[in-house]
This record gives sequence, structure tokens and C-alpha cells, in this order.
Amino acid sequence: MTQDYFSFTEQLFDPSQSASKPEALKGIRVLDLTRVIFGPMIAKWMAMFGAEVIKVEEPEAGDDWRTGTYWGKFWKDSCPYFQALNPNKYFAAIDLKKQKGKDLLKDLVKKSDIVIENYRAGLVEAWGLGYMAMSKINPKIIYISCSGYGQWGPLRYFPSYDLISQSVTGVARMTGFSEDYTYKLPDYYGDFYPAILGVVGLLSAIHHREKTGKGQYIDIAQTESLMRAMHNWTYMNLAGEDLTQTGNFDPTMAPSGIFKSKDGQYVAIAIATNEQFSMLAEAMGSSELAQDPRFSEASQRLLTEHADAINTILEKWARSRTAEEIIGLAREKGFPASALMDDWKLTQDPWRKERGSVVEFEDDMYGKGTWAGPPVSLQKSPGRIKHLTRPIGYHNRYVFKEVLGLSEKDIRELERQHIIGYWDNRVGKRPPSYYDIAEDEMFNYKRDERT
Amino acid sequence: MKKKQQVFSKHMTGKKTQEHLEQFNNLLAEMMSATGAKKGSLDQIRVLEISYANFPGLVCGAMLGEMGATVIKIEPPEGDAAREATYYGRYINGVGLPFVIESRNKLSVTIDFNDEEGIANIKKLAEKADILIDAMKPGHLDELGIGYRQLSPSNKGLIYVSVSPYGHYTKKGEEFRNIPDTDLTAQSESGYPALSGNPKAPEPYNVPVKAGIWAATYMSAAVGVAGILTALIHRDRTGEGQMVDLATYDALCSWPGFSLVWGFTTERPRTRVGNYDWCLFPYGYYKAKDGYVTVSAATDADFRSLIKILGRWDLEDDWRFLFDRIADDPEKLDELEAEMKKEIATHTQEELTQKTLAYGAKAARDPLRSKGFPMVVKTLKPEEVMKEQHWKIRKSFLECEIPDDGTVIIPALPPRMSETPAKMEWLKVKKGEDNEKVAEEYGLKLKKK
Repeated sequence: MTQDYFSFTEQLFDPSQSASKPEALKGIRVLDLTRVIFGPMIAKWMAMFGAEVIKVEEPEAGDDWRTGTYWGKFWKDSCPYFQALNPNKYFAAIDLKKQKGKDLLKDLVKKSDIVIENYRAGLVEAWGLGYMAMSKINPKIIYISCSGYGQWGPLRYFPSYDLISQSVTGVARMTGFSEDYTYKLPDYYGDFYPAILGVVGLLSAIHHREKTGKGQYIDIAQTESLMRAMHNWTYMNLAGEDLTQTGNFDPTMAPSGIFKSKDGQYVAIAIATNEQFSMLAEAMGSSELAQDPRFSEASQRLLTEHADAINTILEKWARSRTAEEIIGLAREKGFPASALMDDWKLTQDPWRKERGSVVEFEDDMYGKGTWAGPPVSLQKSPGRIKHLTRPIGYHNRYVFKEVLGLSEKDIRELERQHIIGYWDNRVGKRPPSYYDIAEDEMFNYKRDERT
Repeated sequence: MKKKQQVFSKHMTGKKTQEHLEQFNNLLAEMMSATGAKKGSLDQIRVLEISYANFPGLVCGAMLGEMGATVIKIEPPEGDAAREATYYGRYINGVGLPFVIESRNKLSVTIDFNDEEGIANIKKLAEKADILIDAMKPGHLDELGIGYRQLSPSNKGLIYVSVSPYGHYTKKGEEFRNIPDTDLTAQSESGYPALSGNPKAPEPYNVPVKAGIWAATYMSAAVGVAGILTALIHRDRTGEGQMVDLATYDALCSWPGFSLVWGFTTERPRTRVGNYDWCLFPYGYYKAKDGYVTVSAATDADFRSLIKILGRWDLEDDWRFLFDRIADDPEKLDELEAEMKKEIATHTQEELTQKTLAYGAKAARDPLRSKGFPMVVKTLKPEEVMKEQHWKIRKSFLECEIPDDGTVIIPALPPRMSETPAKMEWLKVKKGEDNEKVAEEYGLKLKKK
């Protein structure tokens, strides 16, 4: 029966068919005025599931993250992080400090469904480009502002970054072993988690608009997003004391930890329920453990003294088995265990490639690469990557001709007045050195001739 | 908020600006004091949550409920084993904290899965559901005759979301279908702990370190909700439902995606770097005179401002740090880090935060100093966080009554929405509390007790 089930689901989700399936958000136009990670990731979700996302950057400078690369390394004259954050988008560059630039943006807003911004709180309002102004020219607009502390409250004007939001919420104090061996959550969790909650808010607003025709304003904060993922508040209120660093032990599950196996690998094991514990005891070949009154019930097992005792027993056992043996037993008996993955193993992982959450993609400008695909699989309207990023202002002609109906002459005039612009020659902003941009059809988009 | 607030941008002053901001502030004030007249964006949407020992499934259901959907949580008569997990064995009414927190706005119904009548009841509920969350072992509901292929023919609009560690398709998904979900094992399969820890720490601390919050559970749940809503929009426009599959051991890898960038560009894994970041410096925790501060100086301009504030402008033209302070030369970085540590240790937390804020405010008005604005904040403990007035004004923490067991504090769902605010209505933790109510509404047959 299960074999039958998995061959049924295999047909539903076959990633080789994804490109020909419909897109859920097709026809929705998004103006992405954001930089770095938090805002761009909200727009990335929209772009992956079919929305037309126009990323509006400042001429010459562009998104800060175009140059924010690791250990200062670039890939084909681009920042690979920036590539990962901004696929499928259209890249336009408008100088919003000039009145004519603002007017141009307003023309785009009239023809758009969504605006996403992550300037400091209040700044877009001060510029006359915030929700109050935009909803007057397009009442159906959905406008989402991303910030550290939210748009309201005494801390709202303070600047924020992933790490700052980790610190002001106390997340910073939770990872590690002690105050002196405390670590931040890596890879900007304080951006990626708020971003996905921003996506949730935005999608629910689109659903509401489909039903009622009404737009709205959304205020999403990094700090409050992290707070939603913390249990400290509830625990403190109950126990009168705070949760703190517990290394690799999860205090809600005992035993739990990342253990070293016989062959020197790291294996995570965490036991959430009594049933799982009896399965682990069976795998360890120890029926006494399952009967031991200190361990058989979660309420006893989780008491610090007992949790320490069972963790020590498990640690010793793990050292006597290879990682493969432990995972094999977990599969057979049904308890939670997994080997510790790393960047390179994840990139090579056949399971993720089969799922379609990791994709080998060949781009017209940048060639082959391995990138994150959609993190959740939709049977009938799956997400997909269609192209990687492009240099600043690359889609100017396409966007202004197709969306606003401007002529080549209009565009030349905007260029002459420096209302719209392009990359400067810094790495991360320009096209790859091997690429002949003068011959690029999209960059030189000719709508006038086509019609 | 009558007192004039400190602003950090020259654009935020001036008469015209104040007019713009006033209107905006009125809107915000109204949003933050939502009276309850407005409904959530998922009003009228019916969700069936069938989950067992699966936290991402619970969180998906809770978030949909916070956005106004009617969520019926179904568990077997003996209760969902997820109730057992809790911090240090402390329970509320016999129920674990994570389960309590994620029970918000749900109706609780118990149904016997081993019983024909029970299955018939689930079918009846599913017929009227818009969204069904299947957070059981992959294939289990299919075996019981209540999986996607049995339910979708009579409910074409059904969005069926499967939530499991390795997903409901692929070879590995099938081979590993017995493995249950936990946050720690999901973090590990996503390579997350490999990125944390200090390679110079003494034993036993010199190891990969897991995130101290449920980083994988919450990330995958939110990704799942985003997937559900994307499918819902597809349904709004076409009328057709579909199956959505979430692999909870994957989302923490594939949503951030930076591990893949490293893997494919360098063809090797990153090693742990302690207090460093791979892109930014300084970007970590430092010990001030009276406790830890967090320092983030992301751009070169920020870094220059920071050394000016610290009175260490001499570092600016030091050839080692002059050009590219995040070179792939950790030894060079170690030298700069030592200077940072030394200097920060001579100041108090308050001095550092006030100095940087004052610098930022001044820099904002000075065209020559442009963008430089390093950020320094006190590294807060959660108990200090709760005292902050800002969250009280924003109502970020909600108090709810649990019958017979006092008040519980839980965090609100953050997207603050002007038309369709998220809401906290109730917190029910007794299993089967809504059996009669739901049975009556849906015409279910209940077993006599």
C-alpha cells in the first residue's frame, strides 16, 4: 500500500514537469524597493511562484548586498549571495531622490498590486512614497514595510540588522553553553525567519483582496518575528525563571543532543515522546531502560537529573555504533535521529535534488550553478527558478516600455536627466566580464519595433 | 508618544514630512489598538489539522487560526504525544508548553482512528474543509482511506498539506518514513549546527552547536503556511485545490539557501568561525565593562564610524585593515578582533550605545559623514526584553486565560495588518473539549462514553 502511495505522489510532484505547470501568482505585479536580505526574500517568494517582481534600485549603487559577499569573494563578477536572494526579478534603477524619479515610481505603483519596502521606519512616508501616498493613487495596493522594531512604538526609528534583532529579543542568549560561549544564530536567521512571516502576511492579504477587492498596509518587524519563535515568555511566566543556554541539549526532549559516533561523525538524536523512547531503548537493546521509572515517562525523563543520566547513557551507546548503524536503527524502529549535514553534503544531496528544493540551473548570463529551489512543493502550481540576477538597470527598457508604455525617446530623456540609470564599474554591480551586454536583447529591449 | 523622538535621518524632519507622518501615525495607532471588529484574512476558511508528535504541523494550524481560520485539531482519544514534550518536565494542566503555545484559536476534537465510525467522521469533516494538514507518518492517512487521493475527488477545492521530515514523495521519503520529527534532528539534517561554535573553544565546547530556539520547527512551519496560502491564491483564481508537501528536515536549508551557495562555489563545507561572520565585521558579541554588547558594523562607512567612536582612528590607515577587512585570512581578522575586544572592554554598555546613537543622529544631518552608522546594543536576556515598554505599546505579548490554570503569556503573530489583523481568541488545552460542539455542527456520530 505505501509503495503504491509513493508512486502516486511521485506523479503529483515530478520536478521535471514543474516548468510546464501554471504559476499561482501569475499576473501579480510587485514593486520591490528593498535591500539586503529581509525585504528581498519576501519578494523572492513572490517571484518564485510567478509574480512579476520589479526590483527598483538606486542607479550605480544598487542593493548593498551586491557587494556584501563572504570573505570578499565574487563569482563571475557577482555576489553569489545576491544571486540566491534575487532570482526571477526584473532589475530597474530609478533615482528616487529626484522628483521625476518619484513620479516615475508612482506611475509604476498605479499599475502594480504590491509594494515591499525595508527602509528605516517612516522614511518612505517622509519621502511621500509611503502607504498613505500610494494608497491614494492606487487604493487596492497592498503595501508591506519591513523593519527591525516595527513602524510604531518608542524604538521604531532605531536601525536594525539580523544580529541586532537577535540581541534585543534575547535570542542571542539562547545558543551555546554559557555567557562566554554564546553564539548568534548563523546565516541571518533574524532576516530569513521574519521574511517568511512577511510572506505569510502578504499572501494572506492577497487572498483577502481576491475576496473583497481591498488592499491594506502591513507592518512586519524582525524582532517580533523572532519572539514568535521563542518559548521563553511562556516559560518565564510559568516558572519564574528564564531559559538559558543548554548546548546541544533540548530541554523539552530527553535524551537529546548531537553525539559522536564510533566512526567520528556527529549524529543528532532527540526523543520527544514516550513511544519514541521505548523504540530507542529497543534499538539500544536495553529493555531495562524502557522500564526504568526515571525514564519511562516524559515528566520524569525531563527532570534535569534524569535527563543528564539518560543523556550520558545515550552518549556512551552512540560512541559504540557507526552513524550509519544509528540512522539504520532509527529508520527501522522509528525514533528521531539524523546525521549532521554540511554545506557540501547539502549541495550534493540526491534527496533534495529529487525533491526539487535544490536545483541545478543553467542561466543565460551566468551559466551553471546549484541553487535553492522552492522550499515547499506545490503539486499544481509549483515554484521555480527562471533566471538569476542581472546588473543594475538591466531591465529598464523592458519595464518602462512594457509596463508604462514609454518610447525609446522617453527613456533616452530619462537617462539624460539621470532619472534612471545603470551599474557603475564596481564588481557585483556590473555584467560579468565575459558577457557582451551590447548584444543582449533584453537589455536593449525593442518594443517599438516589435509592434 | 507625545515626546519628540530621536530620528536618524535628515529626511525625517521638516514641516511637510511631519504632515505625511501624522497621517501615517494615525493609521498605525488605529492598527495597534485593533478593537476586534475587523476579521482575520482567513475568515470563513476551515482547516482540519490531523497531527501527531509533529510540532511544525501544530504551528501551521496555530498560525492559520491566528489569521482567522476555523481550525479543528484532531487527535486520538489518548491525546497527541506532542503534549508530552516540555521544558524540564514543567506542565500546564498536564500539557507541555510548546503544545499549549501552539493550541491558540483551535477547536480540540478526539477521534478514534482505529474505528470505522471515527474514519467516517473525519471524512465528513474533510468534505467541508478548505485546508487539511496531514502531519502523520507519510502514507498513514492514505492507508486509512482518508488521504489526498481518497478525499480530493469529492472535494475538488481541498488544499491537502502533508508535513513530515522527509516528505511524501522521493525514494528517501519512502525509505525514511518511519523517522519522526523534532527540531534538533531537523536542524542537523539541514546542516545548521555545523555553522555554529568556536573552533578555539576548550573541550567539551569545541563542537557543532545547535540553535538555542526551535529554529527548524518554526522556519519549516512558516514555510508550510506560505505554501498553503500560495495554493489558496491559486484556488481563489482557478477553483482547484492541490496537494502541498513540506519536508520539515529540509526547509531550514532550502529557504535561506546560503549553505548551497557555499557548497557549490567552494566545493567544501564551511568551518566554524566562533564570533565572526563570513561577510561582515565586526558582527558579533563583545564584552564591555559591565556585560555583553552586540556590535554590527556592516559597511566600510559603519566600520570607520565605529573606530572613530572608539577613539581608534589609528586603525584606519593600518595596511592590514585598510583595504578589505574581511579577507579570507582569519589571522589578520584575529588581530583586528583583538583590538576591538580590548577597546570595547574599556567602555560600559550604556556609554557605547549612547555614543553610537548620538553619532548616528549627528551623521544623519551631516552630508559629509554620509551613511556611517554602526549599531551597538546591549545583549539582552529575555527577562530584560519583557520589561521593554515598546512591546507593551505594540501588544507583542498576549495574556490568555486557561480555565483552572491561570494566565499564560504567548507572543503575537507579527505581521500587523491594517484590514485583517491577526487575533488571539482562546487557548484550549483539554483534549476533546469541542467534541460535542463540532459533532453537532458537522453531523458527526459520537461514541457513547
